[in-house]
Amino acid sequence: MSKGVIAALANGLVFVTGKGGVGKSAVAAALSLALAEAGRRTLLLGIDPRENLHEWLGVAPSGGERLAIAPGLVLESLRPRLLIDREVETRMPIRLLARQLLAHPLYHQFVDGAPGLEELVVLAYVERCLHGEFDVVVLDGAASGHALGQLLAPALVAEAVRGGPFARLAARLRGLVSDPRRCRTVLVTTAEEMPAAETFELAEELTAAIGVPAALLVINQLAPDDLPVARAGEAAPLVLWRRRLARQQRERERLRSGWSGAVTELPWLPLPRGAALAHALAEWLAAAPEAPA
Amino acid sequence: MKRWPRLLVFVGAGGVGKTTLAAAAGWLSARDGARTLVMTFDPSHRLRQTLGVGAEAALSEIPVAGAPGGRLRASLLDARTTFDRLVERYAPDAAARDRILGNRFYRTFSGSLAGVLEYMAVERLFEVRAAERYDRIVLDTPPTREALDFLGAPRRIVEFLDSGIVRLAFRSWFDDSGRPRLTRRLGPLGRRVEAGLDEIVGVDLLRDMVEFFRAFGPLYEGFRARAAEVERLLREPETGFLLVAGPGEERIPETLYFARRLREHGCHLAGVLVNRLHPPLESAGPWPPLLAFLSRRDGEGFRLLAERLGEIPLGGLPLLGDEPAHLAGIERVAGELETALAGLG
Repeated sequence: MSKGVIAALANGLVFVTGKGGVGKSAVAAALSLALAEAGRRTLLLGIDPRENLHEWLGVAPSGGERLAIAPGLVLESLRPRLLIDREVETRMPIRLLARQLLAHPLYHQFVDGAPGLEELVVLAYVERCLHGEFDVVVLDGAASGHALGQLLAPALVAEAVRGGPFARLAARLRGLVSDPRRCRTVLVTTAEEMPAAETFELAEELTAAIGVPAALLVINQLAPDDLPVARAGEAAPLVLWRRRLARQQRERERLRSGWSGAVTELPWLPLPRGAALAHALAEWLAAAPEAPA
Repeated sequence: MKRWPRLLVFVGAGGVGKTTLAAAAGWLSARDGARTLVMTFDPSHRLRQTLGVGAEAALSEIPVAGAPGGRLRASLLDARTTFDRLVERYAPDAAARDRILGNRFYRTFSGSLAGVLEYMAVERLFEVRAAERYDRIVLDTPPTREALDFLGAPRRIVEFLDSGIVRLAFRSWFDDSGRPRLTRRLGPLGRRVEAGLDEIVGVDLLRDMVEFFRAFGPLYEGFRARAAEVERLLREPETGFLLVAGPGEERIPETLYFARRLREHGCHLAGVLVNRLHPPLESAGPWPPLLAFLSRRDGEGFRLLAERLGEIPLGGLPLLGDEPAHLAGIERVAGELETALAGLG
């Protein structure tokens, strides 16, 4: 048996993604709690414009301010746009010029429309946070398609832009996302047909995009198989539940047999969305071996 | 929903089952005799798997084998292919077309430009609708971060074009040697500005972008006119939106947010459908604890949502033992959808 899941993710960027609705944010929050508990200085970073991570940590939304959640755990909801503005201010040689540029409609359109810019800025921010301040940054990434865009952005920009700071930044960040010691992707799925199929597709595309396979597959929301032996004339909800469990088992086996990397499983607990659930999942992750038998 | 709209749009957050319900709606529509097209913007090809159509569905509208009366077709879109088609179609001549298709900036980014995916969805929708080959179109909306981004896509693109970036690009910013003219004329100050620009974005990138927008100029008026048409199409009474939501109280704020956004946009919300409701447990049990929890959660969530939605019609679809991933199972979902839609009044 290898070292635990948490030890394997203890430094660098941990990029959490998966199909919509599989529980990415819950897993990202739980991972962060477990990492902080293990003594790692952890930043949990959200980039969804509609903040939602705070719900998992039992705090109010901060509107972008950093929040200290627990010893060693900081939550931040990033506004890439503000980061870009700040960057312009510090780099423009003449202050007045910087202010005029920031107020100009063309600047806004450029920033809104420039492909890859937001993605690069987010990764650059992660890189900076990892420079001494934090041991690990858990990024609650967007759903599948957009997540791919996030990790692909450095390569795309590096290819398209020939020179200048963008090109240099993009090349450096391409190095970050494709370095298995500094960037690890965690794919979250449920044991259902559609999410499972999408997970395999995403895993393949990720590997093709950055040249590194996902570090961990999390099979989330596994309902416990605690039904008694089936009998005739069973109530309809039980029949349905039995079918769901059988289906879940099939997809779970398909996921595990088709996956060559590390896998961990999380239970579906009868708890509402919130801090109690995130803490329970964190405990589970802290105890999880990298590849449970 | 007494009368089906000519254009039926499924919206909602990721993972709630929009694509399956869109396919089921297409199936019902075809069964009732309407020539129907199901369109999706689906980078992960979910609808293709469900309907059993091949990759060629990205290029044209493909008949769905085994669908009622042979009246159902499917179209699967990706931003890059649609963008290329648009350029080919609307470029004034071959030279203009080649300038765009050959531009580095375009080649690298046309599939990933912010908002392009959403915009292309509505563009293509407009194109198909204008051809009038179908009695009904069912649209499964793109899985955007904000889920309703596509509503504002036409307006955003018009604003962008109106902003003058395209016109600006026609000025001669760069001299023959590729140096920015403006900064050269400004002397020493200009050199500092140029250095600043180069430091921030890189002059090379600016040059590529300017070239791209310049090549794009001749297509501008066409884009503008169609974007306005699409805006109108999304608001007309013959277009209906169905908002699909996940079960449980915790999803309610998101559902209300989507409903509000649709209304603000002047779109006709035909109803909200809560998908995959765990069954109510009538007797005392014993039930598996998780099932009991989920059943209570979904029941309470549904009741609360009904209260909060007020006038907006609400329907529910039960969780199925087998979620269809192929056309073979779609009939069952279609049956449930039909019941739910009838209940919307």
